Amino acid sequence: MPLTDFFVLAFDSTHHAIQAEKFLKEAGLKIEVLPTPRDITASCGLSIKFHMDHIEKVKEVIDVSQPTVKLYRGLRLERKTIYLEEEL
Amino acid sequence: MDKQIDARGLNCPQPVILTKKALDEVREGKITTIVNSEIAKENVKKLAQSMMCDVDIHQVGGDYYIDIFKQKETQEIGGVNPSAHSGLIVFIGSDILGAGDRVLGQILMKGYLKTLLDVCPLPETMIFVNSGVNLTVQGSEALESLKKLEEAGVEILSCGTCLDYYNLKDKLAVGQVSNMYTIVEKLNNGENTIIL
Repeated sequence: MPLTDFFVLAFDSTHHAIQAEKFLKEAGLKIEVLPTPRDITASCGLSIKFHMDHIEKVKEVIDVSQPTVKLYRGLRLERKTIYLEEEL
Repeated sequence: MDKQIDARGLNCPQPVILTKKALDEVREGKITTIVNSEIAKENVKKLAQSMMCDVDIHQVGGDYYIDIFKQKETQEIGGVNPSAHSGLIVFIGSDILGAGDRVLGQILMKGYLKTLLDVCPLPETMIFVNSGVNLTVQGSEALESLKKLEEAGVEILSCGTCLDYYNLKDKLAVGQVSNMYTIVEKLNNGENTIIL
């Protein structure tokens, strides 16, 4: 398994996360809503996870540069996954 | 042996990956990673800490020098022993978590089941009753998490009466069908029972 192959988008607002899930699904993207990993702070508690191949499409649907969302790259280590904030 | 990684100007996750490689190569010693952005600094620090290393950071102009100290034979935490005999029973009587908005309740339930996988101890048995059986049948968005829980050794039981009532008997997609005797036994003998 590659060290890093997915992104997590963490939201400030639950409603925003739910809306984003809807838009992304409507755009035909395979995404997953999950509780924001503990490693990531400052969010409402909901995140959207997707494969890194989808990043450009996700960016078309969601403005990831707005201050109410934060994009993280998942990095798998031996025993846990850490989340690295992505520089935009 | 000291090693220096100049990761200035590299995009995430490059500085982190280079640092990880360097840390994997040494058994003990100091590695210094140089980056020139606040976010890269935080990311490298996070990696080092998650690998049980001490970190010391100093700033020179716009550059961050991150000294990472790897100890010999760092004891990795974890080694978690999943379910089996945790004595924990989780009783799920609804397909939503908590009372309130249905959409939110479904998201929370999905999130609960997903998170359950990551936290120790795993339940010994999970019992799904009433609309809770919507979670264990085909088309359920929680199916993937439940299958993983089952693979990890968690016993998944769905109330047969309930499956029948909702016409879902032939749609069960994870675990076994159970009856009230088994359910009562499990609940009575559980050391710790969580009812959702």
